[in-house]
Amino acid sequence: MSCFDPVKWDPSWHRPCSSIHEELPGNCLTGPGKRPARNQGHSYLGMGEEVMVAVPESVLKKQKREEEWEMAKKQELAATKKKNAENRKLIFNRAKQYAKEYEEQGKQLVQLKREARLKGGFYVDPEAKLLFIIRIRGINAMHPKTRSILQLLRLRQIFNGVFLKVNKATVNMLHRVEPYVTFGYPNLKSVRELIYKRGFGKLTQQRIPLTDNSIIEQGLGKHGIICVEDLIHEIITVGPHFKEANNFLWPFQLKAPLGGLKKKRNHYVEGGDAGNRENYINELIRRMN
Amino acid sequence: MAAAARPLVSVQPLPGSLNDMATDHVTTVALPDVMKASIRPDIVNFVHTNISKNSRQPYAVSKKAGHQTSAESWGTGRAVSRIPRVSGGGTHRAGQGAFGNMCRGGRMFAPTKTWRRWHRKVNVNQKRYAVVSAIAASSIPSLVMARGHRVESVPEMPLVISDSAESIEKTSTAIKVLKEIGAYPDAEKAKDSQAIRPGKGKMRNRRYISRKGPLIVYGTEGAKLVKAFRNIPGVEVANVERLNLLKLAPGGHLGRFVIWTKSAIEKLDSIYGSFEKCSEKKKGYVLPRSKMVNADLARIINSDEVQSVVKPIKKEIKRASLKKNPLKNLNVMLKLNPYAKTARRMALLAEAERVKSKKEKLDKKRKPVSKEELAAAKAAGKAWYKTMISDSDYTEFDNFTKWLGVSQ
Repeated sequence: MSCFDPVKWDPSWHRPCSSIHEELPGNCLTGPGKRPARNQGHSYLGMGEEVMVAVPESVLKKQKREEEWEMAKKQELAATKKKNAENRKLIFNRAKQYAKEYEEQGKQLVQLKREARLKGGFYVDPEAKLLFIIRIRGINAMHPKTRSILQLLRLRQIFNGVFLKVNKATVNMLHRVEPYVTFGYPNLKSVRELIYKRGFGKLTQQRIPLTDNSIIEQGLGKHGIICVEDLIHEIITVGPHFKEANNFLWPFQLKAPLGGLKKKRNHYVEGGDAGNRENYINELIRRMN
Repeated sequence: MAAAARPLVSVQPLPGSLNDMATDHVTTVALPDVMKASIRPDIVNFVHTNISKNSRQPYAVSKKAGHQTSAESWGTGRAVSRIPRVSGGGTHRAGQGAFGNMCRGGRMFAPTKTWRRWHRKVNVNQKRYAVVSAIAASSIPSLVMARGHRVESVPEMPLVISDSAESIEKTSTAIKVLKEIGAYPDAEKAKDSQAIRPGKGKMRNRRYISRKGPLIVYGTEGAKLVKAFRNIPGVEVANVERLNLLKLAPGGHLGRFVIWTKSAIEKLDSIYGSFEKCSEKKKGYVLPRSKMVNADLARIINSDEVQSVVKPIKKEIKRASLKKNPLKNLNVMLKLNPYAKTARRMALLAEAERVKSKKEKLDKKRKPVSKEELAAAKAAGKAWYKTMISDSDYTEFDNFTKWLGVSQ
């Protein structure tokens, strides 16, 4: 606003006085104007006749900077591509290994059962290590202590589901919230389907869908979990980093069960829905996923 | 903001009859700092609206108007409204409503008073800021043209003419001078625009209106040019020491066409001072500083100082895409678990294998058995039975002899 100068009035009056440029601060003295170019810009016409090209210094610097940025970007891109390719192979092998592991476990179970039947005894499954809890009651009219427990379990909404490790502490907690939840022992298919279809991860307090292994790597990379299969494996075989992996998973938001619940108000053993329904949770998960 | 060198304004020489100019050709004057001040149309508008109220004359209705009756309300019970009515009789006026603003012949609502606040106080600094802004704007051709002045044929802005103009006595020479310096089209425009005002102002002593022409600013007191120029329609004259915002920015709009004389423009520096030096005439006054010294944003942004610390533009913005179900969509599944492809392939192959072998088994069973095969099967059965008997220890047991049909 303050730099207007008296303008010489030509019929083509766009040319300001050259003295204006002396007054501008800094080294912005590179105003437009005909003068021989400094670094580059000598173009030769014919035999050694120099054409005056006006190339401001700032433009040249900017060009150089942009080139550097481009190169850096290209290098970064190449590096990430390479890393991704390596990762991919690793993930493939891990997934294969897990698949074999699960198959073996299944076969082993069958074999043990058959053995026991043969001998005339019974095979008792080991106590489950992993639980899946689903909240089946709503928000209102709840005792504040049970409300806090449900909050601790991250079940803040009806038909929210979370995985849970089994130990004395959690079992006692479950006992107190029994009328509000139903839980049981999920099998591999349940875990897989839940994580693939409704899996969301917690990254910087945000609920991000698990659309790419890079998201999981970002969240759990430091525990060696870099892909979905790793995550599933960690959850199902309650591994050493189960706590981090489970906490990374946002509570599952399931839909209301197709076919309905039997009777929310009663315990499962009474013909209702609440409480521990052991292996029948898988059937409920199929209907709610 | 130290102006390294101030641009020079050349002084327009006047036509030949004024000879003292002819000797030294084309003198120049340094541009006074006032013309570099920041242009603030908001301040000018504010100050102008307030200053223009200061020459108002009060108006009011008579304080007795509407009350020169002794009207009284008839009260209720007479089937008429309760408005005070004129007492007495024998005339139309009797019984008519009075006093109220709704009544004919009553006093108006809120009768206007002379003690309405007509004048406005404006801070001295603001007034000076406005004048300084207006002077600065008058030196910018685009603003002057935007205000509507015909300055196409003016050789330079700001337009400075030599001091010999101050001794012009005849209006005819004044017009000739205007023509010489290219200011006549503007004066002509003012003359052509003289018209009768539309509206009631006509009958309120504001009958004629016209456009504003150039404003001539002179430096020496008592210059003869006042009398010469003042009768030209549209042209106004002012002494540099007493510049009026209402003349410099008529209507609150910046950019009056100003013609300065050389002595006037030389005085401007001492009247308004510079950005560092106080003015001599106005105690302690320094020209206002602008908020931004260099307001050319494009130039600043593209300057090297800024560009050298700027990060590269993020051209590709990644947005969250729709989540697709990997259990249904194979490609999405493969993105997450590359092993899924081989797993699925193996499962499909295994299924196909199972189906094939089952079919074969069933086909074999449903095929009618040939006679040789049938005979062979039966013979094999009998043979086995025999070996069963012979191989077993059952012959030694008495209990079994009866139904086994064994003969020693």
